[in-house]
Amino acid sequence: MRSRGLRRLALAAGAALALTGCAGTAGPAASPPAAPSSTAPAASPTSAPAAPAPSSLDPAAVPAPTAVSIPALGVAQDLIGLGVAEDGTAEVPTDFADVGWFTPGGRPGARGPTVLMGHVDSTAGPAVFYDLRELTPGDTVQLTVADGSTATYTVTGTEQVAKDTFPTAAVFGATTEDVLRLITCTGAFDAGARSYTDNLVVSAVRSG
Amino acid sequence: MSRTRTALLRTAVVTGAAGALALTAAGPAAAETEVPEPATFTSAFTAMATPDMVINNDGVATPGEPGTSGTFTYRINSDTEVICYDIRLTGVTPPYQSPAKTATHIHQGDAGQAGPPRIAFPNPEDDGSGALVSSGCLQGPFTTGLAPQGSDTGQGFTLDQIEADPSAFFTDTHTSAYAAGAVRGQLVEIPVGGVETGAGGASAAQDGSTGTVLGVVGGAALLAGAGAVALRRRAPQQ
Repeated sequence: MRSRGLRRLALAAGAALALTGCAGTAGPAASPPAAPSSTAPAASPTSAPAAPAPSSLDPAAVPAPTAVSIPALGVAQDLIGLGVAEDGTAEVPTDFADVGWFTPGGRPGARGPTVLMGHVDSTAGPAVFYDLRELTPGDTVQLTVADGSTATYTVTGTEQVAKDTFPTAAVFGATTEDVLRLITCTGAFDAGARSYTDNLVVSAVRSG
Repeated sequence: MSRTRTALLRTAVVTGAAGALALTAAGPAAAETEVPEPATFTSAFTAMATPDMVINNDGVATPGEPGTSGTFTYRINSDTEVICYDIRLTGVTPPYQSPAKTATHIHQGDAGQAGPPRIAFPNPEDDGSGALVSSGCLQGPFTTGLAPQGSDTGQGFTLDQIEADPSAFFTDTHTSAYAAGAVRGQLVEIPVGGVETGAGGASAAQDGSTGTVLGVVGGAALLAGAGAVALRRRAPQQ
């Protein structure tokens, strides 16, 4: 059926840990935290970039992104490929330092969305997207593309969504615009389920 | 994305209703029925539909309405045979037209090929902003109202067939000016449910470090948290 064999194999080592839910060891965060926090949704577009020209170009027709740089957070990482797990959920990086991109989705220069996913923390402490919530409208995210070019996106807003009512269409649904979304976990950590209750979704539009 | 939050709240509210439905569901109906959104899904799919993808019934490329596009996103629960649809057309000019009972479909057919409709969805209508939208959930068994060989083209179709090979299905909408299709796109699988990107090791620190906005999403988080719904696993497919 789907061509996931290789990816599944590659992920197999850590898959049980990483795929079953903001997977943690027992221990931290036994005391439930206060209410989740979030940045304001789509705040005033002070430095709103010009709307990019809509593109319905097939993502398969353009080169893949290979690395991400978020200057405001000091994040610079090569990208790993992610797909859909056997249970229908999103694959996530097995290494807490990795950032992955959803390969069946959009790509820079084609239809969107290009979706990046990274962990907010490991079992031991902060992970690659720990500071994602600090991004504010106007911050930039740069993707290096396989042809050597750089695609620049400008953050437009941040949304906190509950995982069990995750807005699939709004986050992963195809878009004509060349947009980028960055996803990590947030909200309260449910020690029993070893999973955060919410996702943080940062949206950005192509600006250069 | 404030629209997202509205949808989110609506989703949380109907979750309870969906649970009740599962308990009282009767046997298969004669045709699909509109149902509340289920609490869980087994898969999700999206399609970027464009005019250049349109193929007529003879398998010939027949471009649809120029300059238009459509985003079709589907979430499926193949255990209960429910499909939820979120369809948005940009630039497409009604009236819709199709010999089937509606003009907005999922067809079975590879890219570049024609194929019979398997599900007919309510046609997108103006939501007041100028965009044409259609959203809701249908429970099978499905009928399309087309029966070129005597039996409805929806007969025998089940949603797990999409899960088994999504690229063998496409979605489109037909208008009177573009009867072969105004826009069309092949289905691509996308993840269902939330994204598991944290292990809790910094959760205490996080809560201490951000004393800012808590009011904004408090309501939604409470609503959603009450369910503590575990994602149901899709049965292994052979």
